[in-house]
Amino acid sequence: MSGSGLVGAVAPVSRRVRAYFAPVDRTAGVPVVFDAAQMGAFGLESPPAPWVDLGWCGGFARKSLTKVGVLRTGIPAIAQRQVRTEVEATVALEFESWGKLQMALAAGSQQMNLLRTVNGATANGSGGMAGAAVALMAGSTASSLNVGAAAGGFGVGDLVAVDVDYAGQVGFVGSGVSGAYVSSAAAVGGDVNYVRRISLNVGRVVSIADGVLTLGVALLAGAPAAGMQVSQLVGFVDREGGGFFHEWSGLFVMDGEQGDRVIYHYPRLQAMQGSAEIVEALAGPLERVKLAGAFRALPVKDTNDGETVLCFRSYLPGAMRTV
Amino acid sequence: MRNARDTFYVTLRDRLAAVNPARTMVLRGVTRPGVLVEENELASAYQPVDAFCLRWTGVQVDAQGAMPLMTMTCEIRYATDGNAGNGGMDRGRLLAAMDAELVAAVGAAPQSAVKVNYAVSPAVAMGTMVFWGDVTPGSSTVNEERLERVATVEVFCYQEAGEL
Repeated sequence: MSGSGLVGAVAPVSRRVRAYFAPVDRTAGVPVVFDAAQMGAFGLESPPAPWVDLGWCGGFARKSLTKVGVLRTGIPAIAQRQVRTEVEATVALEFESWGKLQMALAAGSQQMNLLRTVNGATANGSGGMAGAAVALMAGSTASSLNVGAAAGGFGVGDLVAVDVDYAGQVGFVGSGVSGAYVSSAAAVGGDVNYVRRISLNVGRVVSIADGVLTLGVALLAGAPAAGMQVSQLVGFVDREGGGFFHEWSGLFVMDGEQGDRVIYHYPRLQAMQGSAEIVEALAGPLERVKLAGAFRALPVKDTNDGETVLCFRSYLPGAMRTV
Repeated sequence: MRNARDTFYVTLRDRLAAVNPARTMVLRGVTRPGVLVEENELASAYQPVDAFCLRWTGVQVDAQGAMPLMTMTCEIRYATDGNAGNGGMDRGRLLAAMDAELVAAVGAAPQSAVKVNYAVSPAVAMGTMVFWGDVTPGSSTVNEERLERVATVEVFCYQEAGEL
């Protein structure tokens, strides 16, 4: 430490990148904007609302594909000015854990819940006809679902999707996060469970008492709205192909070992590849399979100056470091 | 470096004591957490059992930045004869317990601590952080009835201006 009390600034040393997600309002086309000036110092375990923790990720790689052209004049031609001819950016990462949200974002396309089927349902790649959903009763919250006497049909450990019935909606569907785009009721066969099939509003039952299912983690969409019902599911499925692109607001945080922090904020990200995995050899025949995602950044306007930009990189220096 | 070593030791000692308060040792008549720094004690060929013994080995310096980045290798030696009441037949379990305690203590977040100068009283917090990687356990070795292991941790710090 010098006589001024300042410590020399050094290059950030970081271990891993923590990723966070926030839903983009697809209907209105409005992303979630992260203001590092107001919220940049948040604790990694407690991101500010509505950001949702995606956990640690590895292989984080940002790439600027922006092209800078040169305006030359004269003979011989001399570079006089520069201009950005294309603005593009991508980001790739590997999720350290598999979960609904991670799978949905990395899938590259629509990601669905494998709803528990009715007996004798015709086989279908993304799940056959689902069983009847269970209505929610008054008093349900984001982490407790009051299903009354129907609780006997559930068990601790069950996975559930909580969302509205499909009743002919056209456009983006899914509570909390738009999970699909429906072009017509005919396209989804009028399936009353379709919204629960694509919903990201899922949870796991950790206890059952007095007709109430308690979930391990609060639902993404918060307290269930009127008309929402509960469907049991056994897992998740995504497909190569399809016309839907998930879009999300992304936040990536690298904490430096000297109290500094680098924050990468992409207000709008869409997958730029199909579902993919990275395989890491452990030992012998064992391999660890990580979800791999690659995303293309889409533009937003910075209201400070009206510039069209793809991402924001913020740096919060450590205490008493030279700047 | 001395401050960084002291800081890492004190942090690890406190964390190990929190993970397993029952792991204690008696050293020079004082009961204390079961962890010591070899170079801070009287020279002895005696290897304490059921305790962690820190030995500082390699040092590297990267002088490219605004402050020299020091990388120090800390060997953590531990051994057990097992419990006499069990005829030593639980020595594998006890070594595994020490493995788990060490992994928990070294790997607990944050894997860093404010560097502290313990050579003055009261101790003074310094301007930079000491930080370290994950623990790398070596193979266990059998020395007669004793099971031993040496784990290593890379510890990093910046050499502050005027710091010795």
